[in-house]
Amino acid sequence: MARRVHPINIIDVARSPHRYFRRKYVWQWPVRIFHWVNAVAVTVLFSTGLYISHPILAPAGEPFNNFVMATVRQVHFIFAFIFLINFLWRIYWFWFGNNYARSGFPFFWRRSWWKDLFRQVGDYFSLKRGHVHLGHNALAGLSYTIFVIGLGWVQIFTGLALYSESNPGGFWSKLTGWVIPLLGGSMQTHMWHHLFAWGFIVFAILHVYIVFYDGQQYKNGLVTSMISGVKFYRNGDLENDKWLS
Amino acid sequence: MISLDYDETLQAAAGHQAEEIRERIMREHPGEYVLAVEGNAPTGDGGVYCTVAGRTFLDILKESAEGAKAIIAWGSCASDGCVQAASPNPTGAKPVHEIIHSHPIINVPGCPPIAEVMTGVLTYILTFDKLPELDRFGRPKMFYGQRIHDKCYRRSYFDAGQFVETWEDDGARKGWCLYKMGCRGPMTYNSCSTFKWNNGVSFPIGSGHGCIGCSENKFWDNGPFYTRLTNVPLPGVESTPDKIGKYAAVAAGVGVAAHAASYAANQGIKKAKKNRQTKKLLESDKEE
Ligand code: HEM
Ligand code: HEM
Ligand code: SF4
Repeated sequence: MARRVHPINIIDVARSPHRYFRRKYVWQWPVRIFHWVNAVAVTVLFSTGLYISHPILAPAGEPFNNFVMATVRQVHFIFAFIFLINFLWRIYWFWFGNNYARSGFPFFWRRSWWKDLFRQVGDYFSLKRGHVHLGHNALAGLSYTIFVIGLGWVQIFTGLALYSESNPGGFWSKLTGWVIPLLGGSMQTHMWHHLFAWGFIVFAILHVYIVFYDGQQYKNGLVTSMISGVKFYRNGDLENDKWLS
Repeated sequence: MISLDYDETLQAAAGHQAEEIRERIMREHPGEYVLAVEGNAPTGDGGVYCTVAGRTFLDILKESAEGAKAIIAWGSCASDGCVQAASPNPTGAKPVHEIIHSHPIINVPGCPPIAEVMTGVLTYILTFDKLPELDRFGRPKMFYGQRIHDKCYRRSYFDAGQFVETWEDDGARKGWCLYKMGCRGPMTYNSCSTFKWNNGVSFPIGSGHGCIGCSENKFWDNGPFYTRLTNVPLPGVESTPDKIGKYAAVAAGVGVAAHAASYAANQGIKKAKKNRQTKKLLESDKEE
């Protein structure tokens, strides 16, 4: 049940906002830590990854003076493991966090999920405030599932398989080495790892735009919610999360 | 003892005599001889694309394999299919391990394989009377356990970040790393960088050319040889991952910009409407 709040009266809002807007703690700290570690890791992984395939610095001097390529690869691998641990941590938190931590899941067997998805798409085309969620809306959740979880698994498996090439038969080779013949060889594994890296860029462009656009439309503290964990809501906003249950 | 009784370049016999010798080995030494196969058998149209002494290679291979103690697949043709099996593989050429499943098979890929590796494999079997330890792809670990890249003498240039950019540049003269020229060393398991070729004279990278990965499966289809990445296998278009990625990113950017523009326009129209209404109100106020 949504708690009752007053209809908007602009002067009164300014005087005593708490009567019109309520605050809710939505993103628990593990979700927020995940978010920013993930954003930083993906940025570093993409840029170091692109450097690995187009190493352009060409330092002068003898090889013993320089360690550019090796350093960039080292950074890529360190952030790869940060990304991996963070990723697994978020999956763990899917079960142990609050309901909002589960709100991104594509409940495609529920009609209400599909309804929410189409409603959200409609809202973006009609340029209206539309309906506001506290958790993720169906479209947002779908985008995280495809672009972050789906692509994440692809990058982790192809990345670890490439990583294992320097020690065939070793731990990573046993765990993920089968990916290489599955994809048709190391060349193909590099190619897919490289192609799917761009998926994160496509996601980041759409995601950051939509977050700022929604924040502008909803005026519910959305943009800062990933820092503070808190969102505001008005009368009726809570109704829109009902499809989750 | 190694006795090469049936080997078209080294055997004394020819023609029917040669075939007789093959049959005799099979009869007299069942379960004792090692069958070392060169080349691969075309399997299309009943195998007619390779016929020896009036019989298909496919047939002879299957027959000779039956009594073998082990099979060695010499070279990339027998191990992986190689150029004959290149897409679209019109003759249905198949490596030995896709035809014979009943016997242990040792793959010794390379186009060609290194002579010392070939003799090394045979010597190992002879000396220890067992088969060498194999990796995931059936290759002897002792020769295919490391990449060219792991032992390459240009590796220090790789780690430093110093790469040849064109065949004529200063880096090429100084012997910098050939990674950007498409070198397949980082993905190729073989012994070239360890004991080189022709009694240790040189090997491709030593001669200033990148490795083309000739001991790796599908190297023949993994072109272009002079770029690091293969193309994305989209039907009808040749595209690098970067090209497709950039198009996708630009498409996302254009979509976002279009949406932002329509939102701004929409807000502008709303504002203009409101302004007009206020103006009208003000004017009607004046008239009164
Ligand atoms: C968001 C995730 C990631 C992105 C965007 C990313 C991006 C890239 C890119 C663009 C390349 C260059 C590919 C090439 O041209 O050959 C690369 C290489 C590589 N990545 Fe990743 N990567 C990610 C995650 C990972 C993970 C989780 C691992 C696991 C250890 C990993 C390991 C590697 C390895 C081993 C290479 C090859 C380096 C080399 O050939 O020297 N990556 N990555
Ligand atoms: C300036 C940059 C960014 C801002 C302000 C931002 C903000 C946000 C906000 C407000 C949400 C919650 C949206 C909702 O209610 O559905 C969110 C979710 C998310 N964002 Fe970002 N984001 C940024 C960059 C990124 C980047 C670069 C990535 C990864 C490539 C990313 C990945 C995610 C993921 C995976 C979620 C879902 C969180 C979860 O449920 O665990 N974000 N972001
Ligand atoms: S030349 Fe090839 S094998 Fe040698 S270090 Fe460079 S990339 Fe590796």
